[in-house]
Amino acid sequence: MMKLDEYKLVFVAVGLIGVLILASPTLGFVLNLPGGEKFSELWVLGPGQMAEDYPFNVTADVNYLVYIGVGNHMGSSAYYAVYVKFRNETEPLPNSTSGMPSPLAVLYEYRVFLQNNASEEFPLNFSFSDVSFSGGRSTVRSITINGVQSNIDDSVSWDTINIGYYYQVFMELWIYNTTLNGFSYSNRFVSLWLKLS
Amino acid sequence: MEETSIVNSLLKLRTSVFAWLLLVLVVAGLLSYLPLYVKATDEASVNVQEADVAVRQAFNATLDAERAGANVSNLIMSLNAAGDYLAEAENALRIGDSSAAASNASICMEIATSVQSDANALKASTLNEAHSAFWTDLTFSVVSIAVFVVVLMLVWRWFKRGHVEKMLGMKPEVPDDEA
Repeated sequence: MMKLDEYKLVFVAVGLIGVLILASPTLGFVLNLPGGEKFSELWVLGPGQMAEDYPFNVTADVNYLVYIGVGNHMGSSAYYAVYVKFRNETEPLPNSTSGMPSPLAVLYEYRVFLQNNASEEFPLNFSFSDVSFSGGRSTVRSITINGVQSNIDDSVSWDTINIGYYYQVFMELWIYNTTLNGFSYSNRFVSLWLKLS
Repeated sequence: MEETSIVNSLLKLRTSVFAWLLLVLVVAGLLSYLPLYVKATDEASVNVQEADVAVRQAFNATLDAERAGANVSNLIMSLNAAGDYLAEAENALRIGDSSAAASNASICMEIATSVQSDANALKASTLNEAHSAFWTDLTFSVVSIAVFVVVLMLVWRWFKRGHVEKMLGMKPEVPDDEA
């Protein structure tokens, strides 16, 4: 049989648990429990909004469609900018090690606001025009993204290893930082290799 | 013969002077439009910058409302509309379409200003509600804890009395080998 002091301990424990339960509605106002891992997502999908049928063999004056997706898991609403850029094989991509974006010019941008755990996808229609091939080089003078035409005048030499003229369209994810009152590169980018013929 | 040559030279000179005058007039005319073009681009650029700042301020206000506990779904929808116009304005500015940039920036600015004032109002009302909810919950917690503690103490006293009576009512038992 238990001693009276042992019963007393049981009563005290029950009392403390009960007090905590009854105080929990008020404690909810005061205590901020740590959330999970905070991160943002960026992805690219093919024309059927699936991870397939990505454009690869491209030609001039043909329209191609992909979808860009952004997801927010930052624990609160977030403001994102997605910058679309274009490069040849020798021009720099963003540096994942240093977290620096590519210095290349922005050709097109999206702005999106997402609540926590929300995501959104946008269409990216693109086509090339004024394309020429001569002396083992190809030159693209114009790219149209979602109806916005930009003069790029980008050229590339024939790639003897992969056999073709290769360019890359890539998208960088930037997030608005309330402390800096400006956008900062979130060290996330996705890209599409394009073989121009 | 010599007279004809002089007349021809004069005619040539006159044509040349006219050509130069015409060229000067055309260049002057084009140059007179240049400040207007530069001014339009500058104005559009300023409009887009102002719209950008307005959207940032609207987002900051929305984030404050969210931190206060408000449901900001509608504000986020409106901000997305403003963001679309801002992106279109930036894209238009990038390709030199200053009129499209200015008009998109103007619509964006309008939406962002409205979102900011809505977010501030929502934050104020949410804080009021949260304040009263806090006091209601605090009152509930204090009263219920007091009742719980009193009831627990009464139960404890009742249990203790019962336990002691039970102990006192027990007969001592002596093991057989000691008897």
